[in-house]
Amino acid sequence: MSDFDSELDASGLNCPLPILRAKKAIAAMENGQTLRIIATDPGSVKDFEAFCKQTGNELLSSGEEEGKFTFMIKKAA
Amino acid sequence: MSVRLPGPERRESILNAAQRLFAEKGYHGVSIDEIAREVNVSPAILYRHFKSKKVLYEAVLQAMSAQRESYVQTVINSGTSFEDVLTGMTQVYISSINDNPDLLRIELQSLLDRNPATSDFFKNRWKSFTDYIEFSLNERLPYETPNREITILTAGLMFQGMLREALVQKYLQPEDRLEDVSLYELSHELVRLFLRAVGIEKSRLSRKAVISG
Repeated sequence: MSDFDSELDASGLNCPLPILRAKKAIAAMENGQTLRIIATDPGSVKDFEAFCKQTGNELLSSGEEEGKFTFMIKKAA
Repeated sequence: MSVRLPGPERRESILNAAQRLFAEKGYHGVSIDEIAREVNVSPAILYRHFKSKKVLYEAVLQAMSAQRESYVQTVINSGTSFEDVLTGMTQVYISSINDNPDLLRIELQSLLDRNPATSDFFKNRWKSFTDYIEFSLNERLPYETPNREITILTAGLMFQGMLREALVQKYLQPEDRLEDVSLYELSHELVRLFLRAVGIEKSRLSRKAVISG
């Protein structure tokens, strides 16, 4: 079983597409569920931090491996 | 007559002068001596901070990219419709040029300079628009649209061209033909014309927002 409920691959896309698609994905999720996002735009690190800070959703983790950025976001209850 | 400044402030003042001169004259039109004169230091001191003109130029770009416009706020605050997001992005982009018109000047200079560092930098800035437009049209244009792929590519370029020309007219021309047009009106009008051109009707909801706003 995976440790997230939904996944979004935003590889190759520049801001604001990853954020926009995450917003839509989160809207379709239940409170407390988690979304895993994969992105390649280096600007997405700052963008997802700002996004979570402003929307109240929780950024559980954020990491980078070989140019791929992974974010785990938990939908605020 | 040189005033002694602490290192970081000196560096900052060199960067500011360099940005202004590169914007005005292009990469090849400016010498290190000229930048040094502008900030009242000897070229030797300038070289202590930046070991070459190329390094200094890249540092100017780096400093500008730190002010990279963020579309996060737009996405959080606006609706998620194509027209709302595109209008919000356009407003953010126009504001960034409004705050620092040198950004637009350096972009135009760099189109002829053929400097790889700059062309990547500006390509990436516009990629936010072209990606968003291409992605959205790909979702919305019917599959049977003739020349579908070329239409989508051209649409991205068309918007980039419209917006860049409007910015040139508004911020770089001595006789400002758009003087009485607010940033708000300009962005709405550009998006409205663009949507009509690609055959997407503006939704009634956002039309109402235009009138009330």
